[in-house]
Amino acid sequence: MNGRSWRVVVAAGILVVALCLPLGLDPQGYAIRIFTLIFLFAAMAQSWNIVGGLANQMSLGHAAFFGIGAYTSTLLLIRMGISPWLGMAAGALLGGMVAALLSLPTMRLSGHYFALATLAFGEVMRVLANTWASVTGGPGGISVPFGQDSWWMLSFKSTRPHYYLTLGALISVTAVFVAIQRSAFGYRLRAVRENIAAAEVVGVDSARTKILAATISGALIAALGTLYAQLTFFFDPDTVFGIAPISIRVALIAILGGVGVAIGPIIGALVIIPLEEAANFAFSAQAAGLSALVYGLLLVTIIFVEPRGLVALAGLRKRWRSS
Amino acid sequence: MLAFLQAALDGLMIGGVYAVISIGLTLVFGVMGIINFAQAEFLMLGMFVAYFAWAWLGLDPLIAAPAAFVIVGALGLAVQTLLLRRVMRAPPVAQVFLTVSLLIVLQNAALLAFGSSFRSVITPYQSSALRLGPLYLSLPYLAAFAASVASGLALWLFLQRSWFGRAMRATAQDPFAAQLVGINTQAMHRLAFAIGVGLTAFGGAVILPYLTVYPTVGEQFVVLMFTVVVLGGLGSVLGAIAGGFSVGLIQSISGLFLPVQLQNLVLFVVFIAVLSLRPEGLLGARR
Amino acid sequence: MAILRSAAKTLKPTRRHALGVLGGTMAAPYVLRSAQAAETVSIGVVLPLSGANAQFGVNSRNGIELVADQINKAGGIKALGGAKIELVVADATSTPTTAATVAQRLVTQNRVTAILGAFVSSLTIAISEVTERRDIPLLTMSFADQITGRGFKNIFQVVAKASVIGAAQFEDTVAIAQAAGTKLERVAIMYEDTAYGTSQAVGLRNGAKKTGVQIVMDEAYPLGITDVTPLINKLRAANAQAVFPVSYLNDSLQIIRVMRQQGIGIPAIGGAAGYVIPDFEKGLGEYAEGILSISPSNYDLAPDLTKAFRERYNYFMVHEAFEHAVCLEVLVQAIEKTGKTDPAALRDVLHGTRFEGGWTRGMTGGAVQFDETGLNTLSVPLMVQWRNKELVTVWPENIAKAKPIWKA
Repeated sequence: MNGRSWRVVVAAGILVVALCLPLGLDPQGYAIRIFTLIFLFAAMAQSWNIVGGLANQMSLGHAAFFGIGAYTSTLLLIRMGISPWLGMAAGALLGGMVAALLSLPTMRLSGHYFALATLAFGEVMRVLANTWASVTGGPGGISVPFGQDSWWMLSFKSTRPHYYLTLGALISVTAVFVAIQRSAFGYRLRAVRENIAAAEVVGVDSARTKILAATISGALIAALGTLYAQLTFFFDPDTVFGIAPISIRVALIAILGGVGVAIGPIIGALVIIPLEEAANFAFSAQAAGLSALVYGLLLVTIIFVEPRGLVALAGLRKRWRSS
Repeated sequence: MLAFLQAALDGLMIGGVYAVISIGLTLVFGVMGIINFAQAEFLMLGMFVAYFAWAWLGLDPLIAAPAAFVIVGALGLAVQTLLLRRVMRAPPVAQVFLTVSLLIVLQNAALLAFGSSFRSVITPYQSSALRLGPLYLSLPYLAAFAASVASGLALWLFLQRSWFGRAMRATAQDPFAAQLVGINTQAMHRLAFAIGVGLTAFGGAVILPYLTVYPTVGEQFVVLMFTVVVLGGLGSVLGAIAGGFSVGLIQSISGLFLPVQLQNLVLFVVFIAVLSLRPEGLLGARR
Repeated sequence: MAILRSAAKTLKPTRRHALGVLGGTMAAPYVLRSAQAAETVSIGVVLPLSGANAQFGVNSRNGIELVADQINKAGGIKALGGAKIELVVADATSTPTTAATVAQRLVTQNRVTAILGAFVSSLTIAISEVTERRDIPLLTMSFADQITGRGFKNIFQVVAKASVIGAAQFEDTVAIAQAAGTKLERVAIMYEDTAYGTSQAVGLRNGAKKTGVQIVMDEAYPLGITDVTPLINKLRAANAQAVFPVSYLNDSLQIIRVMRQQGIGIPAIGGAAGYVIPDFEKGLGEYAEGILSISPSNYDLAPDLTKAFRERYNYFMVHEAFEHAVCLEVLVQAIEKTGKTDPAALRDVLHGTRFEGGWTRGMTGGAVQFDETGLNTLSVPLMVQWRNKELVTVWPENIAKAKPIWKA
């Protein structure tokens, strides 16, 4: 078996395990919730990876699109009783459009400037959601109503359906990522990332390439916002538009795992989410701040040991990067 | 008209403060090329140093400010040597990761060490204001402004006139060329970081009289600091000063005709507009 | 080999033996369980122990720990054979999703009987989504209107709602001013823009409507505001007779100081939170004297109980600590009454009982009683005033410890 088919076998094996795992877990329990969050944040980081990894535009404002998705579907649900599936589509559309719009003024920005501009934009959305109380419910937040279990209304009492939904979402977003990576579009992105001047010379429309990448990324993470809302039942502007809980966390997961590779965000989420929980579990009952400190120290240690992310550490980077 | 003048005056005063706490951030970026997300935590540490100087020694925070500069600067030196050097050659994403993690560490270490209480100093001038005709000039703001101007001037003199200052500027301009003429760029990085966080700590000390210090106080300033330096031009010290005044004035004057709740919204919109039209900021050099 | 064979002969069980062992094994779980029951009752405590609200989380935990230790020292939970209370404390952090996950962990892994928490309304609401679906009681002193407004069966709030607290903040002030001979006609309100300030502001507006007083300034400001001068400039221009600020500590201190700077001497009536903690007085010194604030409860209504807190922790029992203590007291009384830790039984008892005695004495009405939405209908907000570094209850008159001083 050559390297390629070996990888496929491993991936298939992991998938089978993932599909069967919930059958042995309490459907309303803690473990299944952790896995669901891992899949969700991995998917979010993967959508970020499209601009952060493939286009090399480090965005620190992805919460803007995530929040748009969460609010759009939930408001449509509460105000007009529309199914969250349709709401998700609407949210993705809106999120993609806003992402495209944002890429226009930030087109010529790179690196740190781009990061800070996106950070500011995320904050703009948060302040808007907070002040526009008549529409969004303001700082009090909004709740997804209690309802009967229903796939059409994406409403479940137990966490198990959410587990499969987020797993499916992760697989879908990763598929999109890999598809882009291997396509002509992916080549253009790489060209723009490596040397924008040379790319333009050979006829790559760098503006269009960047906007397209941003749109796809924004649309995907907005759709995930809907899944989040249906899972957690309650959120407010600080939760879904927040810099720390969403924007930075998503970037951190992708960076920790390894940007630009499909498996990076997955590894990142598999490490960061349980790490946070473990630190909370072990230390939070003791001195205030201890669990968060331990978590921070572990993060520092990881990036100190391998600044290029865990993927590089495991030597997987080369094998997963190309093709 | 009167309201406008008052707002302009207040904006200028607070702008000076924003400038001094942000200068450090721009210095670090200019010389090291790193955006230090943990910069505001050094502000918090500076405030704590000044607080304890007041609580244990009875020193006014303005007098303790230079001590904050030295103590936190020394800490910055340690952080740079132990941690940041490692990610100097790493991709920007790793730098972001490290400084964000550092933020978490510093905040919670402070929480563990100092506890969660909100601490406040009591100084004779903190609840007074000067009257300039019909206008009010808050004394703690004036004191902070004066200290900011003084430190800004001191930094400018250092950068222009001293050998170290010129070496730092050379490192910022072209690290390779600087090395060729014999400058130890590693040492310059260390110095820049130490001075950078030290200045932010100094700024924290001078604003303590009118604020409170608690472990997460830095969060209130992070986005503000970044707006200031990017507006002024990353890497330009004069830019940070111009940016500081701009932010102060925008915040203050927008408060005249918009709800106070939206003061940051206006700021961010201006910020994004400036970035899209002139990415290098008001005074930054076109690269 | 021979040794083993002889050992096997001596150990060969008789049928009676076997029955005895079998019966013992079957009975063991019951024996163990009741032995377990005599051991501990796990109660979850989810509070912000990091981040901006850490101080309030720590205060709340202190209140709960005080009561738990008192009960354990007095012999534990009698109805369960002297079972001791075991608090399972966890950091809610400042993110609602994490708070919910933590609550989930306590329910599933630690098998807690009930959860107390989480001070911040958005965290409490997120946790309640978990506890409602798992049918575990959640007792809280968070007071956003939404908490009891969703028809949940497992939530129990020991204080009045935010809109009621806001209305009381307003109406009580008008009454106090009137008693001092001042008729309030023009007032200003300013509030920090999280759920706390915003929902209490709604109450303030309702109070103004009810008393026919005009609101000449109504401004929200960002929670982490670093410069309040635009706000105070507006206040000065509005020409109000009194101002109702709803703030945490960082903003409350700035507001009072800048008002002083500009010589604005009108009374400020705070909205609890930043105005009723010791750090407020420490930060303002003499300027804190005489400042009024609304509060959901106050320690001077039961000084014999609350002084134990002061002796242990060296500061007066702040209202969130006291209210959490009451939460634990009520829960323990419910367990004593049902004699079991079954959540459904507890829920029914929590809804149907008037809880008296113990720490509930310090609540207004001297008791706690929840209606079907989970709200304690006996809790009435009260006005406190800073007198000599202490908070003194000054209104309503029937529970006041001193007469209010109105500095017009």
